Amino acid sequence: MNESLISPFNITHPTTVQTSLFALASFARFDPTGRYVATGRVDGTATIWDLDTRAAIRILDGHVKAVSSLDWSRHSRYVLTASKDWNVVVWDLASSCVPAQRCTTLRFDAPVVSASFHPRNSRIILALMTTGEAYLVDQRKAHRGRVELCEVQEESDDEGAGASTRVRSAITVARFDPSGKHIFLGTNSGYILVFNTHSKTMVARHKIAGAGAIKGLEFTKTGRQLVSNSADRTLRQFTVPTYPAPSADGAFIEQELEPTHRFNDPINKTAWHAMSYSPDGEWLAGGAADPANHKIYIWDMSNDGQFASALDGGREPLLHLHWHPTKSSIASTTNQGNILIWHSPHPERWGAFAGGFEELDENVEYEEREDEFDIEDEADMVRRKMKEEEEEVDIDTVPEAAKPRQIHHHGVQPGDEDVAWADEEPDDDQQDWKMRVIMEEDWDI
Amino acid sequence: MSVEMDIDSGDAVPQAEPARAQENNTSGEDVAMSSISAVSPPIKSEPEQTPIQPEPPTPERKPGPHYKIRYSLSGHTMSISSIKFSPDGSKLASSGADKIIKLWDTYTGDVLRTLAGHTEGISDIAWSNDGEYLASASDDKTIRIWDMNLGTEIKTLLGHTNFVFCVNYNPTSNLLVSGGFDETVRVWDVARAKSLKVLPAHSDPVTSVAFNHDGTLIVSCAMDGLIRIWDADSGQCLKTLVDDDNPICSHVKFTANSKFVLASTQDSTIRLWNYHTSRCVKTYTGHTNRTYCIFACFTNTGGKYVVSGSEDMKVYIWDLQTRQVLQTLEGHRDVVLAIATHPTKPIIASASMEKDLTIRLWYDNSEDLSDEGPISANGAT
Repeated sequence: MNESLISPFNITHPTTVQTSLFALASFARFDPTGRYVATGRVDGTATIWDLDTRAAIRILDGHVKAVSSLDWSRHSRYVLTASKDWNVVVWDLASSCVPAQRCTTLRFDAPVVSASFHPRNSRIILALMTTGEAYLVDQRKAHRGRVELCEVQEESDDEGAGASTRVRSAITVARFDPSGKHIFLGTNSGYILVFNTHSKTMVARHKIAGAGAIKGLEFTKTGRQLVSNSADRTLRQFTVPTYPAPSADGAFIEQELEPTHRFNDPINKTAWHAMSYSPDGEWLAGGAADPANHKIYIWDMSNDGQFASALDGGREPLLHLHWHPTKSSIASTTNQGNILIWHSPHPERWGAFAGGFEELDENVEYEEREDEFDIEDEADMVRRKMKEEEEEVDIDTVPEAAKPRQIHHHGVQPGDEDVAWADEEPDDDQQDWKMRVIMEEDWDI
Repeated sequence: MSVEMDIDSGDAVPQAEPARAQENNTSGEDVAMSSISAVSPPIKSEPEQTPIQPEPPTPERKPGPHYKIRYSLSGHTMSISSIKFSPDGSKLASSGADKIIKLWDTYTGDVLRTLAGHTEGISDIAWSNDGEYLASASDDKTIRIWDMNLGTEIKTLLGHTNFVFCVNYNPTSNLLVSGGFDETVRVWDVARAKSLKVLPAHSDPVTSVAFNHDGTLIVSCAMDGLIRIWDADSGQCLKTLVDDDNPICSHVKFTANSKFVLASTQDSTIRLWNYHTSRCVKTYTGHTNRTYCIFACFTNTGGKYVVSGSEDMKVYIWDLQTRQVLQTLEGHRDVVLAIATHPTKPIIASASMEKDLTIRLWYDNSEDLSDEGPISANGAT
């Protein structure tokens, strides 16, 4: 709502640190509303911070080992934490119990590297183990189950009958695409595998030439672009192809993906710890794995991936970064556990303090209107004013621009049955739920 | 101490606390009176709580508001400064110069609670979005947060260096904004009772301050006649609205969609401003407002109206679009300072100053006499 009053001539990527949170965290993630940030700690706790007050408002204490990843449900009501203690815990922030109570615990047979909610239904969870296996856990009554997502192994007919010669590669990254229709898995042998979430079958396998083990995958909000981080210290952006519905005979697309852009540091050859797209997909931020500096590189994707800026966050090396879901803001985590919140400051407009004044950049010869200083007859003036005020005003309808935009996800048609499947047995994550404000006396942080 | 609010008329009235509702009583008397009301049983202290029979509707009705008095609530012993409906509309909170807050049942007119704790008169109150907390702004320079389920004070916000005159929650109710006679606007972290921002906003006492519907903007107005719009996140001033004659601005609020602000000024005028273009799009006149900071409200439970109190002891209801006075509610015996409109039902509450000391609940039954809700249930009694 405030955008319309703020100067439009502003850089839309963050430029300076606005604040830092002393969180002792290893990573930080904004929630989908952009009001909160969640941080995970090595001691197994996670903290929810209110960005308005910059205060910790909930502590989620449920793991005995480090929290390895964290995800928010689409309207921020549920949070999941994955940990090296082999558990994934789902928390309901609508319950105002202090301390926060877990609502579900999923136990696995190995330390969990990452876990995420299905973008449309928090009762479907994707989890990745350190052992390189990815599981899709469905907690809905009608679909209850835990399925391992396995790469299709070719029957190597041409090399003679018997065992397949290829060693099954370990999965190193597991992500839903923004629509939730597909799951993207990165492997240690430089492949991206694409699974249909509903049928849990592999629909495509992409070789990423020269990449080595895939370390990370990030999508733009629409799901049209995908950026990968890999062992060769290069970020690659791809345009995501459209996948057909899974075929009954288990056939899949075997295709090498050619990146549209590559980003690397040709001089220092630094690797990347994390990357994140801006909400409109026009910027890509990469967090450099520089051992002595906190550096964030920003590329202008609307301008053919041109390097735009390098942000310097001081001496504490960077571990993780995440772009705000709606604003020009980044949360980056230092190796000391501090969260830096970056923003693009608006220059103070002193002219705003004087009513009826307009700031000019340079002198302008003022041209007086013909009738500007004519003394109008008072009755005429009143009549003219009354006339002007006849116009109807709308005081209730919120302008479309101020509402959260409906995003059209890449590769999703209206009435898509995979979407309908995910929407069955919805969770209680309604858009209008409100996080209760807990007064500080009730508990101690 | 006396504070001069009146610039227009020569016959200025000396003012005591709270700033919104001037009082001539000596302080000794105040304490005695308020303590009686605080300790006496609720029923005894509200003897005048009288359900008044609504008249049967006449067959042919003009469209428009037909508000009629339903309850007259007595309990305050000094001028009533502010009244607010709870977010669900079931309760009405009132505050006054007698340093107490009273909580009333909207549908029966019963007094539910009396909250005492402030050491000086109270000028404004505000409900949190869930109706669990109430914030009160007082001349004792504090804002207090009350737990409305327990009826206890749970926080005191210290920081204002003079009377606190106005207070409001943001939509998520994690922040409070307040303004006062120290000419600042302050933003508070409610849960930690901590001041987050102090905006040197005006050059005269701040009379009204509010957030917009998504919490990104703050509007403030002051006796310096300026209306300022602030970025809630950065605290930067984004806009200043000023009328040619610069009258004292006494109340300001955003419309439901935050496209306009409704501002009451002490030249007996209420204006609806388009703050993007700095143009006044509607002017509402007819009432009298030259001395006090009188509240104005919107209501859309029926038609779209603007409602305000007046110094001629009436409540005025204007049509939002045509700017015609559609109805005046008469009955109060002193200046109608505070006004509140029900969030979902056509109910208006109004409260008056020391010669009257009643809160009146006005119901509009013209459309929904067959309604099964609590309105008709009470109407039958």
